[in-house]
Amino acid sequence: MVGVGTSRQRRPFPLGRRGRTILAIVAAGLVAWFALGLSPAQLVPTGGAGIARDFFAAAWRPALDYEGAGVPDGARPFLLKVLDATVRTIVFATAAMSLALPIGLVLGFLASSVGWSGDPATRASRLSRTLARSVQGATRTLIIGMRSVHELLWAVLFLVAFGLNTASAVLAIAIPYTGTLAKVFSEMLDEAPRDSAAGLRATGAAPVQVFLHGILPRALPDMTAYAFYRYECAIRSSAILGFFGYPTLGYYLRASFENLHYREVWTYLYALLILALVLESWSTRLRQRFVA
Amino acid sequence: MNGARELDPRSAIRALHRRRPRSRLVRWTVAGLALLAAWAWSPRVEVLGVRFGSGEIATGELFSARRRANLERFLTEEAMPAPLREAGFSWRGLFDWAGAILADHGWSAMLATLWISILAVVLAAAVATLLAPLASRTLATRDPYQLCGDNCRHGPGWRALTTLTRLLLVALRAVPEYVWAFLLLAMLGPSAWPVVLALAIHNAGILGRLGADTIENLDAAPLRALRMLGASRRQLTGVAILPLALPRLLLYFFYRFETCVREATVLGMLGVVSLGYWIQDARARHRYDEMLLLVALGACIVIASDILSTLARASARRGS
Repeated sequence: MVGVGTSRQRRPFPLGRRGRTILAIVAAGLVAWFALGLSPAQLVPTGGAGIARDFFAAAWRPALDYEGAGVPDGARPFLLKVLDATVRTIVFATAAMSLALPIGLVLGFLASSVGWSGDPATRASRLSRTLARSVQGATRTLIIGMRSVHELLWAVLFLVAFGLNTASAVLAIAIPYTGTLAKVFSEMLDEAPRDSAAGLRATGAAPVQVFLHGILPRALPDMTAYAFYRYECAIRSSAILGFFGYPTLGYYLRASFENLHYREVWTYLYALLILALVLESWSTRLRQRFVA
Repeated sequence: MNGARELDPRSAIRALHRRRPRSRLVRWTVAGLALLAAWAWSPRVEVLGVRFGSGEIATGELFSARRRANLERFLTEEAMPAPLREAGFSWRGLFDWAGAILADHGWSAMLATLWISILAVVLAAAVATLLAPLASRTLATRDPYQLCGDNCRHGPGWRALTTLTRLLLVALRAVPEYVWAFLLLAMLGPSAWPVVLALAIHNAGILGRLGADTIENLDAAPLRALRMLGASRRQLTGVAILPLALPRLLLYFFYRFETCVREATVLGMLGVVSLGYWIQDARARHRYDEMLLLVALGACIVIASDILSTLARASARRGS
């Protein structure tokens, strides 16, 4: 080991590990800036700053009724339409999560180490150990494949493969979310405290009992909190899928923006904001209840 | 309670089971979400004029003959790399085809995606580092770390400051990146800025909130000691709080970098030269083989950034 004196001489400049890390991050940001060829001049709004001014001016008075003429007779009231879009956003997200959660649980269990290691006292045969390891490896590969393609890319793939269909929108959200849930669940299972599992094992419980009563309950609070957080994310994703033609908030937001109905855009933005606020406070409360 | 019942293990376990912590909120949440899911999936049925089921998800239609024909054509013809459709499969042909696409725009798009996400996350971290101390309720009060005990007041000005900062952070992160990028692109015109800013804004909201929570959860004893020695808020932040919180902040930073790479790939679809731009472009030209290759490239850089972020987080955790 190096003594204090020598280490002082070895330090080339007066920065510790922290300083070097921060310096490296700032340098990476500067490199990225130059690599992208950005200049602050590009930040001036094009179109004579008019769009930006009009758009932000509209923030104070979101539309409560259709903006502009040309609304067909007998059209639903505007606010009802916003509500409908919000409900549909929630519906798609909920349906996707109802697929992602059970499958993610199973895959997460298969991908975890704790689900397979079982009881160290019973000597598993080499064959069964190899089998377990290969199933675990295959599941992990599957999970990586599912989650490394973004939900919007899945949506685009399904659009090309099937055409516009609402069930494929649900699938597009469900696939990457299943992968992410499975990955995080497997990590949480592996990191759960093992004390109660060891106790159960010592009293002679079977591996299934050890898992169900020793390990799963210790990981469950974190898993539930995380699942709800993903539900929040799913609602955001579902809203964005509207940009690809599915009838969620994004669809109407885009249409209103392209028709230059900025006040309507703000109504949709506020709907999104309220949805996010409600979910976040709900999720915070749930987490407090769980992860004390 | 008599002794015999206490000793009977079954009733003791049952008694423990009855006394387990239960939460009404959790139960209602689970039941409500399960009902909502059932409603979402079920077809629309009207019974005596009352509507049941959302009928929004056309599951049956997904397996209709037209959809199946679509899928079959996609898998057998369109997804096949163009040079291999007539000539038959050869590894050489596949590599030549992929290499040409990579050389033409694949590599540059991957690099652009990477640079966009790096710049975005660095900007987000800078903003978040400025906002996080203002949003943390232990630091931004009239009397940080409570020298005067528990009974002193917060000061309404400070309370307003933390509340407003937290509200700002919520608003920043509540709007999805994609929407920010869409709006900014319309205002700023095509450059990398809209995507960089959209990612930076959304992630500043997330990192700021996480940073504020980290600062609030720091061990108070050393900070209170510094306070007793007469350190000001700013000195406290620079000398103790940021250095103490840094390992955790770095964890979040690299975690968000990973998500930024995922999002930057996709945000290109709005018309900025990252991978998404070329994916959208290939789709518009009906070159679905090329599109699949680009999606796979996107998956590759996501996996690469995932590994990078895991390594960096492991090193940050060692430093804590």
